[in-house]
Amino acid sequence: MTAKTTSGKMPRMALLVHVDMGILSSLQSALAERGFTTIVARDLPTALLAITQHHFDVAIVSSQLLEAGDGWPLAGVLHLVFPKAVVSVMAPSEPDVLTLQAAINYGVREVYEQAKPAKEVVGSIVATLENSSFSSGSNRSIIQ
Amino acid sequence: MHTMVLKRSVLLVDDESSILQTLRLVFEREGYEVATAQSSAEAIGLLDQSGHFDAVVTDLNMEREDVGLEVARAALKSQPKPAVVICTGFASMANSRAALDMGVDYMAHKPVELKDLIAALNRLISRYRDIGPFK
Repeated sequence: MTAKTTSGKMPRMALLVHVDMGILSSLQSALAERGFTTIVARDLPTALLAITQHHFDVAIVSSQLLEAGDGWPLAGVLHLVFPKAVVSVMAPSEPDVLTLQAAINYGVREVYEQAKPAKEVVGSIVATLENSSFSSGSNRSIIQ
Repeated sequence: MHTMVLKRSVLLVDDESSILQTLRLVFEREGYEVATAQSSAEAIGLLDQSGHFDAVVTDLNMEREDVGLEVARAALKSQPKPAVVICTGFASMANSRAALDMGVDYMAHKPVELKDLIAALNRLISRYRDIGPFK
C-alpha cells in the first residue's frame, strides 16, 4: 500500500541510518514535524533493504555504522540510486579537510556534526531540498 | 552495422607543464580527447570559446592561491555541465568547503593516484551521459 497525504501528494520520504536510538528518535520527530515519512535503519542490511523498497527524497547517514567511515559508501550508494535526493552524513566531530573531501567524492550534500540539534539539521536539509526543487544547479553546503 | 562511440573529452588545467604533459599522455592513452591550459584565465577562455568538455580537471593554486576554484565555477556553469575535478596539493578547510558548496564532483589530493582519478572520471562521465548531471 502506498501512503498519500490528504492533498493527494505523495509524502516525502526520509531514510535515517544510525546506530544510536536517541539520535534516530530526535531526527525522526523533527522530520515528522516537517511532513516526512521516515524509514529508520540501524545497520547496513536494513538500510539496503529500505533502498530497494522506497524512493527517498532525503537520507541522513551516520559516518560510522559498524566501524569508522563505513557510512560513507552507503551515502555514496544513496546518491547514485536517488540522484535528486539530499544525502547528508552525520559525523562524530567537526568536519576536517578529509571529511569534506569524502563528502565531495561520495556526492554528499551536507555534513553535520552529530551534536547539532535535530531540528536545525532537518531545517537545513528541508531548505536545501526546497532550493534544489527550484534550481537545477548544485546546492550542496556544509553545516557544522 | 557501425557502432558510433563518442570520444570523451577532457580539459586539463595546471600551471606545471610536466604535470600537464603526464596527464595528457595518461588520458590520451585512455582514449580521451585532451585540451590543456596552463592558467585559469586560459582555461576559462577555452570553456567560453570551445563549447563542451565531458570533464574538467583543474589544479587549485596557479596564478594565485585557490584560483582553480574559478575554473571549477566556470566549468559548473557550462551547459551541458561537465564532470568537474579538482586536484590539489594544498587542500584547506576553506577551499574544500568552497568546492563542496559549489558542487565539484571529485577532489583528489596530490600526489594523485592516477588509477583512482581515471576510474572516477570514467564513472562520472558515463553517469552524466546516461542521466545528465545529478548534483
